Amino acid sequence: MKSPDTNHSWFRNLTIGIAFFFTFLLLLSIGVLLFVLKPSEILSALLSEEMFYSMKLSMLTSSASTLSVMCCSIPTAYALSRFSFPGKSLIKAVLGLPMAFPELVMGLALLLLFGHGFLGPYLEAAGIKVTFTKLGIVVAQFFVAFPYAVRVIYSTFEDINPRYEQVSRSFGYGEFETFRHVTLPMARSGLFASSIITFARCIGAFGAVLVLAGGSYMHTEVLPVTLYLNISYGNLEMAVTSGILLMGIAFLAILSFERFEGGKL
Amino acid sequence: MKKVCTFIIIMLLAMVLSGSGCAEKGASIPVSENQEKEFTGRQITVCSGAGLIKPMNELIANFENETGADIEVRYGGSAEIFGILTSKECDVFIPGDYFYTGQAMEKNYVFNESVANLTLHVPVIAVPEENPANISGLEDLANPRVKLALGDPNGPAIGRVSEAIFTKAGILPEVENNTIVKTATVNQLLIYVVSGEVDATIIWEDMASWSEASGKLEIIPIPEEQNKIKTIPTAVSIYTEDPELAEAFNVYIAGEEAEEVWEKWGFEPCDS
Repeated sequence: MKSPDTNHSWFRNLTIGIAFFFTFLLLLSIGVLLFVLKPSEILSALLSEEMFYSMKLSMLTSSASTLSVMCCSIPTAYALSRFSFPGKSLIKAVLGLPMAFPELVMGLALLLLFGHGFLGPYLEAAGIKVTFTKLGIVVAQFFVAFPYAVRVIYSTFEDINPRYEQVSRSFGYGEFETFRHVTLPMARSGLFASSIITFARCIGAFGAVLVLAGGSYMHTEVLPVTLYLNISYGNLEMAVTSGILLMGIAFLAILSFERFEGGKL
Repeated sequence: MKKVCTFIIIMLLAMVLSGSGCAEKGASIPVSENQEKEFTGRQITVCSGAGLIKPMNELIANFENETGADIEVRYGGSAEIFGILTSKECDVFIPGDYFYTGQAMEKNYVFNESVANLTLHVPVIAVPEENPANISGLEDLANPRVKLALGDPNGPAIGRVSEAIFTKAGILPEVENNTIVKTATVNQLLIYVVSGEVDATIIWEDMASWSEASGKLEIIPIPEEQNKIKTIPTAVSIYTEDPELAEAFNVYIAGEEAEEVWEKWGFEPCDS
């Protein structure tokens, strides 16, 4: 009698083979980026004033956007997961939109919204300038990352059994107290994971940042913009080095995501 | 309604902006008709300044129809396509300014005898319709509170040229102060001036003839003595694997037949 294992072994081997092959191909393409430059070239690009500026600005803006994304996406996701209200499915559909269209479209839409023709003059009267400024970077990153954060946090809340909340309510705790003392602690690892994903998404946001904030050299230059500008300057060392930096950040983000989701690598 | 129109026009511009390497191909010709044609089945890559996208798409479609050749094209800022040339990926090199071809000749990336001037490239001041900041000449760009978008001097050809113009006029520091955004391609400038985000910019005169721009911006010429008029040259890369086809294309776009297309898109011929 054949064991079911040997019976399916060609299928098993095929799928595992495909998984290995494409992982290898991806790894190879990432690896190429690491080996095109001499270490001394990477180092000198890393230590250049432009790269420092861009790294600092990337960290600053992404932290600010991550913080504001988390503040807004937690209540949004909670509302979508726990309450039913009119327009809920519309909200979910609209929130899904930016994930389906290119970031450039998002940037253009934001440019027209915050620009001269619409909100711009009112905001400027209030002393707020969004287009072509560092605030513009944060705004662009916010709108790029927000839908993803809502999605991840929504599924985190969905995974928590509402009975815990009902028990808490039955002891006489209010909605907000229950949320703070029961739901949030239970969602802790999911929230942490989503803030990491959000941070990575913010630091990698490009198209929207380029159009709304302009992508000016040493002014609104974040890491992906450094990559783009240096490609257009024909400066391979700087372009590749900013690519390596972005990849390192993405790698750290995915790694901590895997660990906090309880998965093992 | 007008807002919607502006939005659609700007979307089209965004596609031009992101347009690297994806030129529209002319209608494909059935193989049977194709056989007598000179270069059927042969292919070269043309690297062109992003500002030349309109005439270049038309010239390439015409050339493909006539000869059966397959022309790949990559559009980018002049410095960017210079980088592509150095990595040996171009057969024909057409930057927005002779400066880059000069560099390529110096470093032996192109055949010197293949260099031909196509047209003039004339910098002009572009302002949104109705000219909100009342710009009438170069000096007005130095006024405080004028908001400018300019090409990055290290990126597109227009960036280097506009810096040179302001230096010559002695207003570079004031202009730098007024510049709120610097872009890596000249097409991005068009978006910012058409959407009214800035009061003025410096672009190439020919771009004003684009349908995307018509009625959305006004052009203020820069007097010749203040201006830096450039020429657009074409050249064949020494790394080309099909010198015959590359040379044929090079000659075609500099020829009389092509002149009509250049003029149609607002470029001035060199000899006039």
